Amino acid sequence: MPTFKLDGQEIPFEPGDTVIRAAYRQGIEIPHYCWHPGLSIAANCRMCLVEVRSGRQMALPILKWDAKKNEYVEATKPKLQPACQLAAQEDMEIFARSDHALKAQESTQEFLLLNHPVDCPICDQAGECKLQDYWLSSQTKLKRKRTEPVHKPKAVRFGPTIVYDAERCIMCTRCIRFCDEVAKDHVLDMRERGNVNEIVVSPGRELDHDYTLMTEHVCPVGALTSKDFRFKARVWFLKSAPSVCTGCATGCNSWVDYDPRYQRVYRLRPRDNEAVNQYWMCDDGMMTYKRFHEDRILAGRVRTSGRTSEVSRDDAVRAAARVLEKIEPGRLAVVLSAQASSEDNYVLAKLAADHFETDRFYLTARAPWRGDDILRHPDANPNRAGATMASKGEPRSMEQLVEDIERGDVGAVLSLGPDTDLSEAELAPLANLVSEGVGTAAHVNLTANAGALTSSASVVVPVASVAETSGTFVNAKGVAQQFKKALQAPGDIQPAWLTLVEIGRHLGWEIDWRRLGDVRTAMPKPLPPSSETTSTEPSAAPAE
Amino acid sequence: MAYKISRPKRTLGDQAFFPEAAKGMALTIRRFFKNTFSKEENKVIATVRYPDEVRDYPERFRGVHRLTHRTDGSPRCVACLCCSTACPAQCIYIEPAEYDTDDPRAGYERYPRVFVIDELRCIFCGYCVEACPCDAIRMDTGVHVPASFDRSHFIFDKETLMSIPGKDGTYVTENPRHEPGDPTHPGITREQGH
Repeated sequence: MPTFKLDGQEIPFEPGDTVIRAAYRQGIEIPHYCWHPGLSIAANCRMCLVEVRSGRQMALPILKWDAKKNEYVEATKPKLQPACQLAAQEDMEIFARSDHALKAQESTQEFLLLNHPVDCPICDQAGECKLQDYWLSSQTKLKRKRTEPVHKPKAVRFGPTIVYDAERCIMCTRCIRFCDEVAKDHVLDMRERGNVNEIVVSPGRELDHDYTLMTEHVCPVGALTSKDFRFKARVWFLKSAPSVCTGCATGCNSWVDYDPRYQRVYRLRPRDNEAVNQYWMCDDGMMTYKRFHEDRILAGRVRTSGRTSEVSRDDAVRAAARVLEKIEPGRLAVVLSAQASSEDNYVLAKLAADHFETDRFYLTARAPWRGDDILRHPDANPNRAGATMASKGEPRSMEQLVEDIERGDVGAVLSLGPDTDLSEAELAPLANLVSEGVGTAAHVNLTANAGALTSSASVVVPVASVAETSGTFVNAKGVAQQFKKALQAPGDIQPAWLTLVEIGRHLGWEIDWRRLGDVRTAMPKPLPPSSETTSTEPSAAPAE
Repeated sequence: MAYKISRPKRTLGDQAFFPEAAKGMALTIRRFFKNTFSKEENKVIATVRYPDEVRDYPERFRGVHRLTHRTDGSPRCVACLCCSTACPAQCIYIEPAEYDTDDPRAGYERYPRVFVIDELRCIFCGYCVEACPCDAIRMDTGVHVPASFDRSHFIFDKETLMSIPGKDGTYVTENPRHEPGDPTHPGITREQGH
């Protein structure tokens, strides 16, 4: 691979790479605002100016202040070039930390902050703002301007999700380019010039496509803020856990940003993965974090003689074991979930096959949503492939389950997760099966949140949500991706697979899985190729 | 090796003890009469009659916190959480919220819906005051946290903190604020300003 030299370090590059991209791939950041690895090159922020030394060096005549002579003297300086636009060539010598380059970075930084309101205390970008980062690394000087800064529109509503502050904007046009190039919707543009320059929404439109939150994500400063995250938390309190979006079968890699003090997730951010989602996520996917906390089930529920009472989690586990004990082999229907991890599904299927000798596997999933050819997959479930893999053969649908119940083939149901694509009316036979409460018929539901399946269950056992456990999702392309635990599960709640092992132990199932690794070892291959699942881009480090 | 300690040189009068004791007693009695019967300005006394009499604290004494007001009586605080970030005792809890949409400050600023300081946990280091970019939290009240037998009395909420005046008796500070609508306030729309 050909190489060039950046500040004395050999940087390999592929033909066609720009200097900044080759350095970025090596984990070296040349200061930049407008350049983004997933977007076209604009070269308008001038932050990435570097010095290029070559045989035919272009020199600019300048006047330089000479303190000894106390006057300006004639001098020359090399013509600096933007690293984001400069194609890498063999044996180039680039200096991003030379005196000339550092001076240029400092001047650019001072210029960008000239009319900036410096309202960091009330700005949600504070803590992950490039202006702050580069001020500290390149400027560290106070403003020299003594006059009132130019004022521009603030708190402009761009759409249902985004608010724009023109004073903080540095006109890098990342948001415009994102809408044009990735979302394929030219809804943002720029108007005016100079210090009254601002981003505007197309007349008669608002920023309402499926990827609006990405405009906020690409914004290197606090100009675009998401209405959902705005004013909710300060980023320096948040920790990030690598996760996978539960929105659809694309399986976009994400960071779960949570506050460890309150054990609450505040947002999802895309985690760079060239193979799956590049650098992006859709709005609905980013909002799936709300499911972690919505209608959270914190205690067990047992229905006896038509009345539902709350019990402790341990009692719910014992109640589940008690009702499952009475089931005749073969009459148990096992409902796998396309929303649950492969490990949960695998342990459920294994328990059913080993202990209940049933082959009645059904699959519950959320109803499909609107797909597109960017990221959104029509299947709104992250792990249909993984759940199918667990069932050894195509699992039957929920419609089939209802039919089987009506025919009287099914005596009891053991289900995972709250979600189903059937309506409450369609689920009526399942609800009727257990309406009398715990008896010969039973529906045991293991879930983190309340949902359609929960309300028709006779025993509800609370389990950990996706944010509270580690696991694996297999996306529509068959890529297995692991996600990591972010929050502590409240109380003594355990992951679904561990809860199932516990129920199994009450029933006399002889299996000794204590850690997730035990399940992963026992699970059928292929296991996730780790190189594909980890973040490939080094500068995507979260604000930790 | 033992240290050699130099002994003070004492005269016979010192060693006899009694003359020195009598000298000391004489001073005490002289001060007693002077402080009891002479005019106020001639008294030489280092103590005060606490609690009837309280000595002034230094100018920069860090007393119980107060939240300063704007001219309309709302808190100056914008809930930036800088104080709770700086707090080494982690005794400040803030929940930020947005102003109502019809408020002129809506969209520009946030305000603290909940602002709680645990005065028992506070170590009165003054970092919160240092950190505050809005001059919203101050410790210039000049008073201690009142004593109590109940721990819950030391959990000061927003209303309590706003009800404590500064040493000058006011609830505001001398630093000006730029409110929306002022010509100096950022956020003039293009139609107004261009």
